[in-house]
Amino acid sequence: MKRIVELTINGEARDMAVETCCSLLDALRDDVGLTGTKKGCDVGDCGACTVLVDGEPVNACLMLAVEAQGRSIETVEGLQPSVDTLHPLQDAFMRHGASQCGFCTPGILMMAKKLLADNPRPTDEDIRFGLSGNICRCTGYTKIFDAIKSAAREMEAARS
Amino acid sequence: MNINTPIEEREFKIVGKSVRRDDVLEKVTGEAEYTGDVKLAGMLYGKTKRATVAHARIKSIDVSKALAYPGVKAVLTHENVPRVLHYGSPHPRSASCTKDQYILDKKVRFWGEGVAAVAAISEEIADEALDLIEVEYEALPAVFEPEDAALPGAPLIHEVGPGGNLVLDPVRVNRGNVEAGFAEADFVLEGTFSGGRPHPAYMEPNVCIADWDGSNKLTFWTSTQSSFMVRGILAEVLGLPLTKVRVLVDHMGGGFGAKQDCFQHEFLCALLAKETRRPVKMEFTRHETFIAGRARHPCRIWLKQGFKNDGTLVARDMKLVYDSGAYGSHGPGVTIVGTTAATSLYRCENVRLEGRCLYTNTPINGAFRGYGVVQSYYALDIQMDEAAERLGMDPAELKLKNVVREGDIAPSGHPILGHGLEICLQHGIDVLDWKALRNRDRTPDPSQPHIRIGWGVGCEMHGSSAYPGIKEQGNATVKVNEDGTVTLLTGAAGLGTGAHTALAQIVAEELGVRFEDIGTIHGDTDVVPWDIGAFASHTTYLVGTAAKMAATKVRASVLERAAMKLQVKPDEIDLSEGKIFVKAEPGRFMTVAEAMGPSRGIPAANIVANGTYEPTKSYSFAAHFTEVHVDTETGIVEVKRVIPVHDIGRVIHPIAAQGQIEGGIQQGIGHTLTEDYVIDKKTGRSLNAGLVDYKMPLSMDMPDIETIILEAAPDPGGPWGAKGVGEDPIIAIGPAIANAIHDAIGVRFHHYPITPEDILKALREKGA
Repeated sequence: MKRIVELTINGEARDMAVETCCSLLDALRDDVGLTGTKKGCDVGDCGACTVLVDGEPVNACLMLAVEAQGRSIETVEGLQPSVDTLHPLQDAFMRHGASQCGFCTPGILMMAKKLLADNPRPTDEDIRFGLSGNICRCTGYTKIFDAIKSAAREMEAARS
Repeated sequence: MNINTPIEEREFKIVGKSVRRDDVLEKVTGEAEYTGDVKLAGMLYGKTKRATVAHARIKSIDVSKALAYPGVKAVLTHENVPRVLHYGSPHPRSASCTKDQYILDKKVRFWGEGVAAVAAISEEIADEALDLIEVEYEALPAVFEPEDAALPGAPLIHEVGPGGNLVLDPVRVNRGNVEAGFAEADFVLEGTFSGGRPHPAYMEPNVCIADWDGSNKLTFWTSTQSSFMVRGILAEVLGLPLTKVRVLVDHMGGGFGAKQDCFQHEFLCALLAKETRRPVKMEFTRHETFIAGRARHPCRIWLKQGFKNDGTLVARDMKLVYDSGAYGSHGPGVTIVGTTAATSLYRCENVRLEGRCLYTNTPINGAFRGYGVVQSYYALDIQMDEAAERLGMDPAELKLKNVVREGDIAPSGHPILGHGLEICLQHGIDVLDWKALRNRDRTPDPSQPHIRIGWGVGCEMHGSSAYPGIKEQGNATVKVNEDGTVTLLTGAAGLGTGAHTALAQIVAEELGVRFEDIGTIHGDTDVVPWDIGAFASHTTYLVGTAAKMAATKVRASVLERAAMKLQVKPDEIDLSEGKIFVKAEPGRFMTVAEAMGPSRGIPAANIVANGTYEPTKSYSFAAHFTEVHVDTETGIVEVKRVIPVHDIGRVIHPIAAQGQIEGGIQQGIGHTLTEDYVIDKKTGRSLNAGLVDYKMPLSMDMPDIETIILEAAPDPGGPWGAKGVGEDPIIAIGPAIANAIHDAIGVRFHHYPITPEDILKALREKGA
């Protein structure tokens, strides 16, 4: 049985007709066509599908689409502040080589956005802990840590 | 390419710089299209019914209920698919692979093997329909260990092959006189070693989409490292000419070697699409990436070596047994490469090696970063560490004394040209002040007396091509456009390593244009030149050289055309940074665009060239130094620091090369300490086929990695001496950790993974 869900996705109000058993991840990918959010395990183990729901990180595969009624969803497609500008995290990920195969990148970017929103000056340990639910199998994480630290510094500089 | 050609030295403008990779903007914006992101109108979803027995004959399959289920469009079993014996790993006619698979067979050889497939209008309906398929099995006795599979009278898993459960005839290498060597030895070390079953666990589950058009042509999207091999094997199995199979792959979510194979669902997907006349997508669940994927071959090794009291190695006798799982896949290649690798690393004139590979009723093992060498060098390096202990020597010094050198015969059978292991080891010893580390105060920190600190070093070398097992060929096409930009066409896959960027850098450097002027086309077998696949750490070395050759040719054509327009001789002009100038009068120049474009009745130029390169092999080298902390109360080993020192010849893109090393270390820490895909030895069932129970090192587990890349020993076979880097790090880190654990707690482990339980048990035994 399908239900109409009204929600905000990347700042845009919209509705989607979804099966009640459909995950937010499948709804985003298949119904809305936002395939930037990846399906790495579909059981909440890998973090590739991390999106922000009312600002909080969520594994989209573990949330039913109908639970998103009235809520605000941010995905990697909404990370750019404008068409021709990148979010400092996106820019830093490119410069530091923090993305190899790129499959974990959208989820890690969203988790990092939340991390820096809560903690603009994270220590190395804060970053490691903040990413502990996101699996990256290519990079050994070192360049991801570097990129997040660098983005934090730039965002701090832009604020001051 | 003549191996005696000196390596050209030049002042590089693009090579050696970490330019912005051509694939990362799409990756950070979410626009990068992976196979699973493709959605076609009217697409159906396919699912595989998997066996719940390890070894059985199928007595009957009843699909009537599944076929009648609303939304189901087709069901396949062994009764209605073509019965074609085919290669599982698509390197047909090479020594690396076996021809032992059917699309679907009457026999089941491992728990999880596909026995039927369904296409339906949704994944949910397809899943539900799988449960409606009734399979009656006649169970057969099964074997789960290679030792059992080798016993006389063991149940036969295949009807093909050299006999018994052997995947290939034993690989034997004899060099010198081993008996004479042992007679000369002052002491002999003998030990058995074993390795578990680490899984590549790439982030993107296997996925493919098949779509047939009205002319009976198959378009096939798949996440593969070897699109042309997939095209070839699909065409062979489906009875199609190559013009009727088009394989597409854009971005890939990792592969690490395993995604060279055809995994069975590719054929099922193509056949379901053919039967329904609709596009069909088949995507593995994470669980399926384990049970139907490819892991590293578990291995048992017996190693006996004779040493002189001065540390000289005089005899090596080694037997290796690899567990192939239920099918051959890369079993032959892994056995040949892993066994012959043991001729080298540490010099020894008298060598006797025997490598065997056996079928067992377990999930299939295939190609995975390190390809048989992870296993054999784990044993070789640890036993060298033991020899140092016996001699009372510093292990780094003993390794330095014994490492292979320039001119020594490589495992591939030809003399090593670019040789960097000695330099890597020495460099690490120097920068770490290794001697001081060895002689450090070993009193435990009073604030945490249960923590013991250890330092270890591990060495490795690895070839940058699959030669001589596979005679390789690299191809590239370079076209110069009339606006001065350049299009590079390559069949090399984009696993995520940055290979396409490296190829574009090479073309820009050789041609004399800006990196930004290169556009790269890849991933369409109808368009790009034939490619062998991205594996064996060879893309930069192999395809890079082909791309450089093509760029050399188009450069000459561009200069010829510019000379005509400038009314000079071609040798009077040069091309650099997109400008063609008269050497004697640098103020007189034209851009590549002006040279290429139309003018005064001359049409725009069409300048295209191919480069084809058939290499032998180069070797890259690494010495990894690592610090571990062993918690004697919990048994947990933390890797705190790794100083990997690599020689990879000329570095094309430093950040991408470092990324390969750091990621390889992550995976190597995993297989050494926590990762093991476990198969129940009573039933053949998988016990941890998921990312929670299969324990990989994550952000909290990573050490500080201080990567050092030396350009010590460039190889003339690669572009400006570039060699491979992908596989080296995963090989060196394992023995480095095992040796560091010994340094910390005085216990030798000969297996991986070394678990906390193993540490506690060993400490108890040591204390007793």
